[in-house]
Amino acid sequence: MNKLLQILLSLIIISLSPNLLGAAADEVKTDSDDFETTIVEDEIYDPIEGINRAVFGFNNVADRVILEPVAKGYKKLPTPIQSGLGNFIKNLKLPLVAVNQLLQGQGKNAVESTGRFFVNSTIGIFGLIDVADNIGLEQKEEDFGQTLATWGVGDGFYVVLPLFGPSNLRDTAGMVMTMMTDPVNAYATSQGEAWAIPVRTAVNAVDQRSKIIDEVNALRDNSVDYYAAVRSSYYQNRKAAIMNTDDDVLTPLPLISIEFE
Amino acid sequence: MKFCKIFFIYILIAYPITAKASEASKWLKTEIDKIIIAYQSENLPNENRFLMIEQTINNNFAGTGIAKFVAGKSWNNASKETKTEYIKLFKRHLALNIASMMQGYSNQNYDLVNSRFDEKNKVTLIDMDIFSETGKIQVTWRVKKSKERFFVIDLLVADISLVVTKRSEFNSMLKVVNYDLAELNAKLSKQNQSSYQKIIN
Repeated sequence: MNKLLQILLSLIIISLSPNLLGAAADEVKTDSDDFETTIVEDEIYDPIEGINRAVFGFNNVADRVILEPVAKGYKKLPTPIQSGLGNFIKNLKLPLVAVNQLLQGQGKNAVESTGRFFVNSTIGIFGLIDVADNIGLEQKEEDFGQTLATWGVGDGFYVVLPLFGPSNLRDTAGMVMTMMTDPVNAYATSQGEAWAIPVRTAVNAVDQRSKIIDEVNALRDNSVDYYAAVRSSYYQNRKAAIMNTDDDVLTPLPLISIEFE
Repeated sequence: MKFCKIFFIYILIAYPITAKASEASKWLKTEIDKIIIAYQSENLPNENRFLMIEQTINNNFAGTGIAKFVAGKSWNNASKETKTEYIKLFKRHLALNIASMMQGYSNQNYDLVNSRFDEKNKVTLIDMDIFSETGKIQVTWRVKKSKERFFVIDLLVADISLVVTKRSEFNSMLKVVNYDLAELNAKLSKQNQSSYQKIIN
């Protein structure tokens, strides 16, 4: 009797296995929900779109005239210089990353970020070499905008900041908090070296921009509405950063039908 | 003995999922390589190169389904001719977008690092790392099987979905023209011409 039950159980499992159920996937039908405009774009609250578009236009010109050419020049520098500068800038962010991880209840990550900071600042020669990555201390980004989101603060409306680009009320508040509390900036100011703050911001912008030259150009050259494309990209990217989960969990899965003509 | 039974049952459940993901990865690698070969063939005129890439993309993306999803609520009210025209234009738009993006990756190494089968949605997710000298970027392909072959239904670059972005972008455009798909077709046609010129020059 026991044996019979086992065979029966095995048969049920086999019949439920995706190999046999796979055939069902072929019968993909068009779902009326596919065409409803609900989840994605309506989430983006943009009541000052007119002003935002004007600022976006200005930023776009500034990007084309200044940032992109500088980023392209930066990309021509020898790889060790680019990596070194990128690592140095990333390392300076780590104290605040650790603070934000603590504020979000990510104790383990905060310890790892602190470890990264000490390892890279010492063995990694002031953060120029990312030694910590090789010993399993991964870089994770957290900022005050993400912390506020974790605490339940909503996005507010979408806003495009001059030169700084896409943001929202919460993330703008987070950015101001970062500027006010950053220990590296505070140290530079206390030493009478406040000039270092805008230089750091500019180098960071060039470094970040140099990493997405192709992606930005592809988006800019092929969008029917570049503003809307950037707005959507910003929200998806921020959502991913806030949730700290896999893309397949958080990015809405479009119910795409497969149709043959 | 009990362990063997549990192991056997586990294999029965897990193997088909892993096999599906691995089958999809192999297929994807072949198709990505076709695009990369097209970019690396230096003697190929740019027009022919794009045609090769467009063909590969059209053969392997669920273009019609994506086009409908992106059109959102404007789809239902459009005439049959407008819909047909829109799908034709959208497929070219999709090819231009992907070709333009892949152009930047053509000289870089890539690795399909992870694939998993989402049993609930019957979708395989394949992660691809693209390596540059200063770091790497992660691209996730969403692949669905239909009629015994695979189709790409979405592409995510650094957590940003191409399909979701396109839907948001088109919706913003459509809002201005009262969700008239014919109006969007006119704009899409112009955009395609401009993108095409950029990609072949």
